[in-house]
Amino acid sequence: MSDFKSGFFVGGEACNGRVLVVDDEPDIRKVVKMTLQKAGYDVLEAENGEKAIETINSGENRLMLDVMICDIRMPKVNGAEAIAYFRSNYPHVPLIVLTGFPDTDMATSFLRQGVVDYLVKPVEGEKLRSAVARAMEQRELARL
Amino acid sequence: MEHSDQTKVAILGAGRGGRALLDLLHQIPSIEIVGIADRDPAAPGLQRAHALHIPVTANVPDLIGNHGVQLIMDVTGNPEMEAYLKAHKPPTADILSGSASRLLWKLIQHESKLEAELLQAEKLAGIGSFAAGIAHDINNPLQLILGLAESLAEERDLAAVHEQALDIVEAVKRTSAICRDLTRYSRRASPHEDVSVSINAKLDEALKIARYASSFHDIEMLKQYQPGAAVKGNPDELLHVFVNLITNAVHAMEQAGGTLTLETRVLGGQVDIRISDTGCGIAPEKIPEIFEPFFTTKAPGKGTGLGLYNVNTIVSKMHGQITVESKVDQGSTFTLTFPHAQPNQEGCL
Repeated sequence: MSDFKSGFFVGGEACNGRVLVVDDEPDIRKVVKMTLQKAGYDVLEAENGEKAIETINSGENRLMLDVMICDIRMPKVNGAEAIAYFRSNYPHVPLIVLTGFPDTDMATSFLRQGVVDYLVKPVEGEKLRSAVARAMEQRELARL
Repeated sequence: MEHSDQTKVAILGAGRGGRALLDLLHQIPSIEIVGIADRDPAAPGLQRAHALHIPVTANVPDLIGNHGVQLIMDVTGNPEMEAYLKAHKPPTADILSGSASRLLWKLIQHESKLEAELLQAEKLAGIGSFAAGIAHDINNPLQLILGLAESLAEERDLAAVHEQALDIVEAVKRTSAICRDLTRYSRRASPHEDVSVSINAKLDEALKIARYASSFHDIEMLKQYQPGAAVKGNPDELLHVFVNLITNAVHAMEQAGGTLTLETRVLGGQVDIRISDTGCGIAPEKIPEIFEPFFTTKAPGKGTGLGLYNVNTIVSKMHGQITVESKVDQGSTFTLTFPHAQPNQEGCL
């Protein structure tokens, strides 16, 4: 298990899991998607919390969505609201916050709510991938 | 405009002191400046007098003798002038000269310095609230730049390399625009002469700045601009006025969202600028207080209480008027009215 990180990326072609990226900036969704696809993840996008909730409630995503990466400052349903919704309705889906505005109080509160990681933009691809890998591991444990 | 109870004032000396006096006195309705005199035709106060349509002369005896002058303000600093006035002033006129006029000049300077300090203090206090907006707007393109650069390091396809490199260039440009907007806003209002300012362009610039200060999520924007709306004034100060009013409007809609309407209209030699929100509104008993210094309804640490006070100061200085209509839970409309100026050929300043 200690070697799981390197093991996780072997090949990078098979689907390693499905990730939903929630950010109002198309640029961010594009670059996060690019980074994660290279590591073999299937990546879905949503432009705000409302769309994220719609996405997870549609079809197979209800079961197939493994990890959500979520911005905080967004229109309509913002990140904090979306996270609260996901925590109470889909507690088995691990959450990663990816925000442009580091705020210690907010980070503490999110981590208390069970958010796996609190990442501040700009985040290196390697760090993002390892956060997702950790979240995937949690998702696996939840399935057992 | 002429009132019989106006005090008729003549200003002698059109250097910096004379110009400051003009700026101050012409704002006071109970004072009529009958003229300003200086031997030097290039004196700065004379330029200002021309702009304000105040008669200019080099003929002191005529100015003080023939226009019913009640108060002669001598800021020439010239002892001979002081002696001349003592000997030749009309019996009904008072003289302010020598040390008394120097004291007055110092007081005026002090007041205008205080005004500028208050404005700057409020602006800087406000910039603290920009942190979240700036961080968001800088870190997002940085994320893109970092992600693209990492990808470039592994990219073998030259066409993809080309495309990603261009994306990086664009992202850098966007990021540097943020710094440019903010440094322009945070600098001290430049003391330059009044110029023709395009209102529509200034409102758009203010919108960009206000977006850093507050979240515009859930706010619908409505712009109804009449092309060519222009006023005379200091562009930096006018920007400050707009940022303030837009930020207030957005804050008023913080809880439930709403519509922000920016409207400009040129009508009968006047420009009307309307900034409306559909937010929480102002309680009727608070309305008379909102332009008072240090009045705020915001939580401690959120507002300086200087915003609308400074807005009002700037608007009066520009010979404008500000009025407010508000209904609790329905929203507020701030209307600014200025004399219309010819639009500047070079565009906005």
